[in-house]
Amino acid sequence: MDIPVVENVLKLNDEIAAENRRRLGEAGVVCLNLVGSPGSGKTTLLEKTLDSLRGELRIGIITGDIATTRDAERLARFCDHVTQINTGGGCHLDANQVKQGMNNLPVEDLDLLIIENVGNLICPVGFDLGQDAKIGLFSVPEGEDKPAKHPRVVLESALLLLNKIDLLPHVPFSMDVFESDLRKLRDDVPVLKLSAVTGEGLDAWVDWVRQSSTTVKRDRAAATT
Amino acid sequence: MHEGAIAEALLEQVRSFLPDQAVLREVHIDVGRLEHLEEMVLQTFWAALTKGTGEEGSLLSVNVIALQVRCRGCGMEYEPEDPAIMLCPQCGAARPEILQGSGVVLRRMEVEQPD
Repeated sequence: MDIPVVENVLKLNDEIAAENRRRLGEAGVVCLNLVGSPGSGKTTLLEKTLDSLRGELRIGIITGDIATTRDAERLARFCDHVTQINTGGGCHLDANQVKQGMNNLPVEDLDLLIIENVGNLICPVGFDLGQDAKIGLFSVPEGEDKPAKHPRVVLESALLLLNKIDLLPHVPFSMDVFESDLRKLRDDVPVLKLSAVTGEGLDAWVDWVRQSSTTVKRDRAAATT
Repeated sequence: MHEGAIAEALLEQVRSFLPDQAVLREVHIDVGRLEHLEEMVLQTFWAALTKGTGEEGSLLSVNVIALQVRCRGCGMEYEPEDPAIMLCPQCGAARPEILQGSGVVLRRMEVEQPD
Protein backbone atom coordinates (compact mmCIF):
# COMPACT_ATOMS: atom_id res chain seq x y z
CA MET A 1 0.00 0.00 0.00
CA ASP A 2 1.17 3.48 -0.85
CA ILE A 3 0.73 6.40 1.54
CA PRO A 4 1.21 9.74 -0.18
CA VAL A 5 2.47 12.46 2.18
CA VAL A 6 4.24 15.45 0.55
CA GLU A 7 5.43 17.24 3.65
CA ASN A 8 8.60 19.21 4.37
CA VAL A 9 10.91 17.05 6.52
CA LEU A 10 12.00 20.14 8.49
CA LYS A 11 8.39 21.21 9.09
CA LEU A 12 8.82 21.09 12.86
CA ASN A 13 12.00 23.17 12.70
CA ASP A 14 10.30 25.68 10.43
CA GLU A 15 7.30 25.97 12.73
CA ILE A 16 9.54 26.72 15.71
CA ALA A 17 11.53 29.18 13.58
CA ALA A 18 8.28 30.97 12.72
CA GLU A 19 7.44 31.07 16.45
CA ASN A 20 10.90 32.57 17.20
CA ARG A 21 10.41 35.12 14.42
CA ARG A 22 7.00 36.09 15.77
CA ARG A 23 8.32 36.51 19.31
CA LEU A 24 11.26 38.60 18.13
CA GLY A 25 9.00 40.69 15.89
CA GLU A 26 6.57 41.40 18.73
CA ALA A 27 9.48 42.41 20.96
CA GLY A 28 10.90 44.67 18.23
CA VAL A 29 14.16 42.72 18.13
CA VAL A 30 16.12 42.37 14.87
CA CYS A 31 17.83 38.99 14.49
CA LEU A 32 20.96 38.23 12.45
CA ASN A 33 22.31 34.71 11.85
CA LEU A 34 26.07 34.72 11.27
CA VAL A 35 27.37 31.74 9.29
CA GLY A 36 31.03 31.02 8.56
CA SER A 37 33.72 28.35 8.67
CA PRO A 38 35.58 27.39 11.85
CA GLY A 39 38.36 29.92 12.31
CA SER A 40 36.90 32.47 9.90
CA GLY A 41 36.77 35.03 12.71
CA LYS A 42 33.11 35.06 13.71
CA THR A 43 33.77 35.53 17.42
CA THR A 44 36.47 38.16 16.91
CA LEU A 45 34.14 40.06 14.59
CA LEU A 46 31.40 39.94 17.21
CA GLU A 47 33.77 41.13 19.95
CA LYS A 48 34.60 44.20 17.84
CA THR A 49 30.97 44.71 16.87
CA LEU A 50 29.79 44.62 20.48
CA ASP A 51 32.56 47.00 21.48
CA SER A 52 31.58 49.46 18.72
CA LEU A 53 27.86 49.40 19.52
CA ARG A 54 28.16 49.41 23.30
CA GLY A 55 25.72 51.90 24.81
CA GLU A 56 24.00 52.37 21.45
CA LEU A 57 22.07 49.14 20.83
CA ARG A 58 20.97 46.58 23.42
CA ILE A 59 22.42 43.38 21.99
CA GLY A 60 21.97 39.74 22.91
CA ILE A 61 24.13 36.91 21.60
CA ILE A 62 23.36 33.23 21.13
CA THR A 63 26.59 31.45 20.30
CA GLY A 64 26.57 27.89 19.07
CA ASP A 65 29.45 25.51 19.39
CA ILE A 66 30.02 21.79 19.29
CA ALA A 67 31.71 21.97 22.70
CA THR A 68 33.28 24.43 25.19
CA THR A 69 32.05 27.79 26.47
CA ARG A 70 35.06 29.70 25.17
CA ASP A 71 33.16 31.87 22.70
CA ALA A 72 30.56 32.85 25.29
CA GLU A 73 33.30 33.72 27.77
CA ARG A 74 35.05 35.91 25.20
CA LEU A 75 31.84 37.70 24.21
CA ALA A 76 30.65 38.16 27.82
CA ARG A 77 33.51 40.62 28.27
CA PHE A 78 31.69 42.94 25.85
CA CYS A 79 28.05 42.16 26.47
CA ASP A 80 25.82 41.27 29.43
CA HIS A 81 23.46 39.09 27.44
CA VAL A 82 25.34 36.11 26.05
CA THR A 83 24.15 32.53 26.05
CA GLN A 84 26.01 29.48 24.78
CA ILE A 85 24.46 26.49 23.08
CA ASN A 86 26.54 23.34 22.92
CA THR A 87 25.29 21.14 20.14
CA GLY A 88 27.20 18.08 21.39
CA GLY A 89 28.57 17.23 17.98
CA GLY A 90 25.78 18.77 15.91
CA CYS A 91 27.12 20.75 12.97
CA HIS A 92 24.47 23.49 13.00
CA LEU A 93 21.97 25.24 15.23
CA ASP A 94 18.30 24.43 14.87
CA ALA A 95 15.28 26.55 15.69
CA ASN A 96 14.53 24.72 18.92
CA GLN A 97 18.03 25.36 20.27
CA VAL A 98 17.62 29.05 19.45
CA LYS A 99 14.23 29.06 21.17
CA GLN A 100 15.90 27.68 24.30
CA GLY A 101 18.72 30.22 23.93
CA MET A 102 16.16 33.01 23.71
CA ASN A 103 14.65 31.81 26.97
CA ASN A 104 18.01 32.48 28.65
CA LEU A 105 18.04 36.10 27.43
CA PRO A 106 15.91 39.15 28.31
CA VAL A 107 14.59 39.17 24.72
CA GLU A 108 11.97 41.84 25.34
CA ASP A 109 14.69 44.28 26.47
CA LEU A 110 16.90 43.86 23.38
CA ASP A 111 17.21 45.76 20.10
CA LEU A 112 19.31 43.18 18.31
CA LEU A 113 19.91 39.44 18.64
CA ILE A 114 22.94 38.01 16.89
CA ILE A 115 23.21 34.25 16.49
CA GLU A 116 26.74 32.99 15.98
CA ASN A 117 26.14 29.67 14.25
CA VAL A 118 28.36 26.59 14.58
CA GLY A 119 31.47 26.97 12.39
CA ASN A 120 30.38 25.39 9.11
CA LEU A 121 29.45 26.71 5.66
CA ILE A 122 27.08 23.92 4.65
CA CYS A 123 24.80 22.57 7.37
CA PRO A 124 23.66 25.81 9.09
CA VAL A 125 22.31 27.25 5.87
CA GLY A 126 19.42 24.78 5.57
CA PHE A 127 17.98 25.45 9.02
CA ASP A 128 15.74 28.46 9.51
CA LEU A 129 16.21 29.84 13.02
CA GLY A 130 13.76 32.74 12.85
CA GLN A 131 16.35 35.30 11.77
CA ASP A 132 15.64 38.41 9.72
CA ALA A 133 18.87 38.03 7.76
CA LYS A 134 21.69 35.56 7.27
CA ILE A 135 25.20 36.91 7.01
CA GLY A 136 27.80 34.78 5.26
CA LEU A 137 31.35 35.25 6.47
CA PHE A 138 34.36 34.17 4.41
CA SER A 139 37.98 34.82 5.26
CA VAL A 140 41.08 35.28 3.14
CA PRO A 141 43.11 32.25 4.38
CA GLU A 142 40.25 29.90 3.44
CA GLY A 143 40.98 30.66 -0.19
CA GLU A 144 39.11 32.41 -2.99
CA ASP A 145 37.08 29.34 -3.97
CA LYS A 146 34.70 29.26 -1.00
CA PRO A 147 31.75 31.06 -2.67
CA ALA A 148 31.84 28.70 -5.68
CA LYS A 149 32.06 25.68 -3.36
CA HIS A 150 29.28 26.87 -1.07
CA PRO A 151 26.73 28.48 -3.34
CA ARG A 152 23.82 28.25 -0.97
CA VAL A 153 25.32 30.54 1.66
CA VAL A 154 25.85 33.11 -1.10
CA LEU A 155 22.32 32.66 -2.44
CA GLU A 156 20.65 33.06 0.95
CA SER A 157 22.71 35.76 2.64
CA ALA A 158 21.61 39.39 2.88
CA LEU A 159 25.24 40.43 3.24
CA LEU A 160 28.60 38.75 2.66
CA LEU A 161 31.75 39.57 4.55
CA LEU A 162 35.34 38.85 3.62
CA ASN A 163 37.40 38.90 6.81
CA LYS A 164 41.18 38.92 7.42
CA ILE A 165 42.03 41.20 4.50
CA ASP A 166 45.16 42.17 6.47
CA LEU A 167 46.51 38.74 5.44
CA LEU A 168 46.15 39.39 1.69
CA PRO A 169 49.87 40.15 1.22
CA HIS A 170 50.85 36.94 3.02
CA VAL A 171 48.62 34.17 1.67
CA PRO A 172 47.65 33.08 -1.83
CA PHE A 173 44.21 34.55 -2.56
CA SER A 174 42.92 35.77 -5.90
CA MET A 175 40.48 38.63 -5.32
CA ASP A 176 39.58 38.53 -9.03
CA VAL A 177 38.47 34.90 -8.82
CA PHE A 178 36.64 35.48 -5.52
CA GLU A 179 34.71 38.41 -6.97
CA SER A 180 33.98 36.90 -10.36
CA ASP A 181 32.76 33.63 -8.75
CA LEU A 182 30.50 35.63 -6.47
CA ARG A 183 29.03 37.60 -9.35
CA LYS A 184 28.17 34.39 -11.18
CA LEU A 185 26.00 33.48 -8.21
CA ARG A 186 24.58 36.81 -7.08
CA ASP A 187 25.20 40.23 -8.55
CA ASP A 188 22.98 42.00 -6.04
CA VAL A 189 24.47 40.99 -2.68
CA PRO A 190 26.61 43.56 -0.87
CA VAL A 191 30.12 42.39 0.03
CA LEU A 192 32.13 44.11 2.74
CA LYS A 193 35.86 43.48 3.10
CA LEU A 194 37.34 43.93 6.51
CA SER A 195 39.81 42.84 9.12
CA ALA A 196 38.28 42.29 12.54
CA VAL A 197 41.82 42.27 14.00
CA THR A 198 43.17 45.53 12.55
CA GLY A 199 39.77 47.24 12.37
CA GLU A 200 40.08 48.02 8.65
CA GLY A 201 36.64 48.12 7.04
CA LEU A 202 34.91 47.51 10.36
CA ASP A 203 33.00 50.82 10.32
CA ALA A 204 31.07 49.85 7.17
CA TRP A 205 29.99 46.59 8.81
CA VAL A 206 28.95 48.30 12.04
CA ASP A 207 26.98 50.82 9.96
CA TRP A 208 25.27 47.96 8.13
CA VAL A 209 24.25 46.44 11.49
CA ARG A 210 22.92 49.82 12.67
CA GLN A 211 20.95 50.25 9.45
CA SER A 212 19.61 46.68 9.44
CA SER A 213 18.21 47.37 12.87
CA THR A 214 16.34 50.37 11.46
CA THR A 215 15.29 48.92 8.09
CA VAL A 216 13.99 45.62 9.46
CA LYS A 217 11.82 47.46 11.97
CA ARG A 218 10.56 49.81 9.26
CA ASP A 219 9.74 46.89 6.95
CA ARG A 220 7.88 45.14 9.74
CA ALA A 221 5.89 48.28 10.53
CA ALA A 222 5.04 48.67 6.83
CA ALA A 223 3.96 45.01 6.64
CA THR A 224 1.49 45.39 9.51
CA THR A 225 -0.16 48.63 8.35
CA MET B 1 27.14 16.29 7.64
CA HIS B 2 23.61 17.25 8.68
CA GLU B 3 22.30 13.96 7.28
CA GLY B 4 21.85 12.68 10.86
CA ALA B 5 19.54 15.56 11.78
CA ILE B 6 17.56 15.12 8.58
CA ALA B 7 17.23 11.34 9.08
CA GLU B 8 16.05 11.85 12.67
CA ALA B 9 13.43 14.40 11.64
CA LEU B 10 12.32 12.14 8.80
CA LEU B 11 11.91 9.08 11.03
CA GLU B 12 9.79 11.04 13.49
CA GLN B 13 7.67 12.31 10.62
CA VAL B 14 7.31 8.86 9.03
CA ARG B 15 6.16 7.40 12.36
CA SER B 16 3.50 10.10 12.66
CA PHE B 17 1.99 8.96 9.34
CA LEU B 18 2.42 5.21 9.81
CA PRO B 19 -0.88 3.40 10.46
CA ASP B 20 -1.03 1.08 13.49
CA GLN B 21 0.14 -2.44 12.69
CA ALA B 22 1.53 -1.39 9.30
CA VAL B 23 5.02 -2.53 8.37
CA LEU B 24 7.15 0.11 6.69
CA ARG B 25 8.83 -1.07 3.48
CA GLU B 26 10.17 2.02 1.78
CA VAL B 27 10.28 5.77 2.26
CA HIS B 28 10.62 8.11 -0.72
CA ILE B 29 12.06 11.58 -0.27
CA ASP B 30 12.91 14.45 -2.60
CA VAL B 31 16.18 16.21 -1.84
CA GLY B 32 16.99 19.54 -3.47
CA ARG B 33 20.32 19.76 -5.27
CA LEU B 34 21.31 22.72 -3.09
CA GLU B 35 20.97 20.73 0.13
CA HIS B 36 24.39 19.05 -0.11
CA LEU B 37 22.93 15.83 1.31
CA GLU B 38 24.65 12.58 0.38
CA GLU B 39 22.30 9.73 -0.44
CA MET B 40 24.54 7.01 0.97
CA VAL B 41 25.12 8.91 4.21
CA LEU B 42 21.37 9.44 4.60
CA GLN B 43 20.82 5.72 4.08
CA THR B 44 23.50 4.81 6.62
CA PHE B 45 21.86 7.06 9.23
CA TRP B 46 18.47 5.63 8.31
CA ALA B 47 19.67 2.06 8.85
CA ALA B 48 21.31 3.00 12.15
CA LEU B 49 18.30 4.90 13.50
CA THR B 50 15.78 2.19 12.58
CA LYS B 51 17.88 -0.73 13.83
CA GLY B 52 16.05 -2.61 16.58
CA THR B 53 12.82 -0.68 15.93
CA GLY B 54 9.64 -1.50 14.05
CA GLU B 55 11.06 0.27 10.99
CA GLU B 56 14.21 -1.88 10.80
CA GLY B 57 14.85 -3.14 7.29
CA SER B 58 12.90 -0.37 5.57
CA LEU B 59 14.54 1.30 2.59
CA LEU B 60 15.16 4.98 2.01
CA SER B 61 14.88 6.10 -1.57
CA VAL B 62 16.32 9.51 -2.46
CA ASN B 63 15.23 11.48 -5.52
CA VAL B 64 17.49 14.48 -6.22
CA ILE B 65 15.56 17.52 -7.48
CA ALA B 66 17.31 19.67 -10.05
CA LEU B 67 17.63 23.39 -9.63
CA GLN B 68 15.05 25.63 -11.20
CA VAL B 69 15.23 29.39 -10.75
CA ARG B 70 13.52 32.56 -11.90
CA CYS B 71 15.62 35.58 -12.82
CA ARG B 72 14.72 38.57 -10.66
CA GLY B 73 16.11 40.74 -13.45
CA CYS B 74 13.98 39.68 -16.44
CA GLY B 75 11.66 36.96 -15.12
CA MET B 76 13.15 34.17 -17.25
CA GLU B 77 12.87 30.69 -15.75
CA TYR B 78 15.84 28.40 -16.26
CA GLU B 79 17.65 25.36 -14.86
CA PRO B 80 21.28 26.06 -13.95
CA GLU B 81 23.36 22.92 -14.49
CA ASP B 82 26.13 24.06 -12.17
CA PRO B 83 24.85 25.35 -8.81
CA ALA B 84 27.83 27.72 -8.71
CA ILE B 85 26.79 29.47 -11.93
CA MET B 86 23.40 31.17 -11.85
CA LEU B 87 23.83 33.57 -14.78
CA CYS B 88 20.55 34.12 -16.62
CA PRO B 89 20.76 32.85 -20.21
CA GLN B 90 18.49 35.70 -21.34
CA CYS B 91 19.77 38.86 -19.61
CA GLY B 92 23.04 37.73 -17.97
CA ALA B 93 22.02 38.79 -14.46
CA ALA B 94 22.74 36.60 -11.43
CA ARG B 95 19.69 37.30 -9.31
CA PRO B 96 18.04 33.90 -8.98
CA GLU B 97 14.91 33.22 -7.03
CA ILE B 98 15.00 29.51 -6.20
CA LEU B 99 11.83 27.81 -7.46
CA GLN B 100 12.96 24.24 -7.01
CA GLY B 101 16.07 22.46 -5.76
CA SER B 102 16.16 23.30 -2.08
CA GLY B 103 14.50 21.56 0.82
CA VAL B 104 13.76 17.96 1.72
CA VAL B 105 10.26 16.57 1.23
CA LEU B 106 8.75 13.28 2.34
CA ARG B 107 6.81 12.22 -0.77
CA ARG B 108 5.35 8.86 0.06
CA MET B 109 5.71 5.68 2.08
CA GLU B 110 5.23 2.07 1.03
CA VAL B 111 3.75 -0.04 3.78
CA GLU B 112 2.35 -3.52 4.21
CA GLN B 113 -0.83 -4.03 6.19
CA PRO B 114 -1.20 -7.36 8.00
CA ASP B 115 -4.20 -9.39 6.86
